[in-house]
Amino acid sequence: MRPLTLRRLFLQCSLLAAILFVVVVVALKLGAVPVSLYGLGRDLISVLLHQTSALSSDYGMIVIDIRLPRILLAIFVGASLSVAGTSYQALLRNPLADPYILGVSSGAAVGAILAVVAQTHLALPVWLATLTTPLGAFLGALATIAAVYFLGLREGQIDSGTLLLAGVISASFLSAIIIFLMSTLSRDVRGMAFWLMGDLSNSLQPSLRWILGAGFFVAAVAIYTTAADLNLLLAGEKEAMHLGVDVRRVRLVVYIAASILTGLAVSVSGAIGYVGILVPHVMRLLCGSDHRILLPTAAFGGAIAVVAADTLARTVVAPSELPVGAIFAIVGAPLFIYLLRRGSI
Amino acid sequence: MFIHSTLRAVAAAALVLLLNGGAICAPQDAAAPPLPVPPAYRQVTDEIGRTIRVRQAIHRIVSLAPNLTETIYALGLQDRLVGDTDYCDFPPEAQLKTKVGGAVNPSLEAIAALHPDLVLVTKNLNRLETVQALAEIGIPSYATDPHTVDAIIASVARLADLLGAPEIGATLAADLERHLAVLHERLASLPPRRVLFIVWTEPLISIGNDTFIADALRYAGAVSVVDSSQNWPQVNLEEVVHLQPEFLIFVESHFGSAPQSAEALADLPGWRLLNAVRNRRYATISDAINRPAPRLVSAVEDLARQLHSEAFTEKPQNDKDQTNPPAPSAPHLSSLTENAATPKEQACAL
Repeated sequence: MRPLTLRRLFLQCSLLAAILFVVVVVALKLGAVPVSLYGLGRDLISVLLHQTSALSSDYGMIVIDIRLPRILLAIFVGASLSVAGTSYQALLRNPLADPYILGVSSGAAVGAILAVVAQTHLALPVWLATLTTPLGAFLGALATIAAVYFLGLREGQIDSGTLLLAGVISASFLSAIIIFLMSTLSRDVRGMAFWLMGDLSNSLQPSLRWILGAGFFVAAVAIYTTAADLNLLLAGEKEAMHLGVDVRRVRLVVYIAASILTGLAVSVSGAIGYVGILVPHVMRLLCGSDHRILLPTAAFGGAIAVVAADTLARTVVAPSELPVGAIFAIVGAPLFIYLLRRGSI
Repeated sequence: MFIHSTLRAVAAAALVLLLNGGAICAPQDAAAPPLPVPPAYRQVTDEIGRTIRVRQAIHRIVSLAPNLTETIYALGLQDRLVGDTDYCDFPPEAQLKTKVGGAVNPSLEAIAALHPDLVLVTKNLNRLETVQALAEIGIPSYATDPHTVDAIIASVARLADLLGAPEIGATLAADLERHLAVLHERLASLPPRRVLFIVWTEPLISIGNDTFIADALRYAGAVSVVDSSQNWPQVNLEEVVHLQPEFLIFVESHFGSAPQSAEALADLPGWRLLNAVRNRRYATISDAINRPAPRLVSAVEDLARQLHSEAFTEKPQNDKDQTNPPAPSAPHLSSLTENAATPKEQACAL
């Protein structure tokens, strides 16, 4: 492992940030209503100066009110899922660990569905109602990762194969529960099947945006504080413990923080697969496996991937849309097999 | 080997006896004293082009779609309906019929146990596998497949023919057509409203050109802004803002409380750019619009009233000048409203 220098971290992150910027600009340009780069820049500046009245037209409003929030959501979802995937892979010492494969996304979806059902039966105040779905998804994700972790233990040690099987079984069990809920609950819940396929088209309540932003910031910073410990954990839990890592604390922090990230992402976009497994692997190939660099670069990589995929999802069959989850499965699965065959995983 | 096949033959014979025996007994109980009827069966072609063999007199019907259940009730033949699905909730009495499961995954055993003379299915809801499985155990099924309002009315009449009630069917069809004609007269001179029919908001799903709902909108003096060949297209919100529909149409069953949900749209990014949302130009109709059944016409009338309220408020003044009896729609409506509860009553029933 090359020694970490601030300069290297800064260089790699700014390079990725530049790529992300280009992808975002392209994504802002493409869509049902075409806009020019000049108009785009002028509109963005007037929004930054809080001069919304100066917006050129409805077209400017479409870009600012629909396209930009959706791109920001894609950035958030991509960064959350890849950071969660990266930390699961380190902590479980399993290259295939990912929120989707371990069933954590399905657990979050079950939690979110139950929260929606509970919400219709309880008369909650509005501010609390906005919180119930993300909260339900977080609890679902946390319960699932806890269950998978304990099922994956063999004689007190994490067994890689057992853990993965436990995750796969949990995922299929939870999918069965989702199907059960869908077919027994009221018709209103059945429409959530669309959302489950992974979709970024939902308009979010502005208050929810702050919750997502704050949740991401807290969870991502918490995971980053364990980055050095995660590097040592790659050698094994016992070895890390001998090297002075407080394994229990790291485990607790990472599981809770990664569940927050997964839960929040699933509650707004459904279960998008392959982000949490592909992006960390590609980033590991490009930037090495030092988590102090890998975690931030994976966040940028995930954001780039999801923004690009969602742009495809909303432009390929315009004026209709594809679920972004389907795009990821189509592109992600072959890429994953390629990486697997090449022996990089 | 030989013993095996003999056993199977005996078992098959027993099964045939069991099934037919039951089926033969049941109609005899229900029917009037049997006349010397020469052919017990006849050939019929259904709406997807299958030729099926059904009994001359159909006394026991199982419906596998809510719209067909409604149609049976509208024809007044509900006494012959021996079973329907979990989703058959209109009229409310239909919920008391024996349930055979959902429309997509009904229980074959439950259907066979009811010894139906005929099972009614509809192409866009039921599965071909169900129909094939029914055929294998000797239960005939008749499929409807209407894509337009006219086809729905024709389909109702044809079904009435099949069930041996052609006069009732003809009367009902004529009544429905008269309603549509009255509506057409009122709306003919008005430009159609450009509307967005909302099937689901998150993600936004609307209707395509080939659905009977799109056709029903035309009868209500409206045209969908969405131009898609898919039946249930997911639509880009940007595109909708670009097209600026005059009205948003919500269906009651999709939300426990449609107006509340519609109210919440005003604060949502993207949605708040729609003039229809800014000016609260919403129309809310009962879920009859989703069902290709006679009640669809009352939903169309309800929608027309909300979209073109001016055409309906002017009417009383005109009536004074006219020699026709006042409010021509009222007497005709009564026959429909027997079956069609007002949206509010319906919401309670749901």
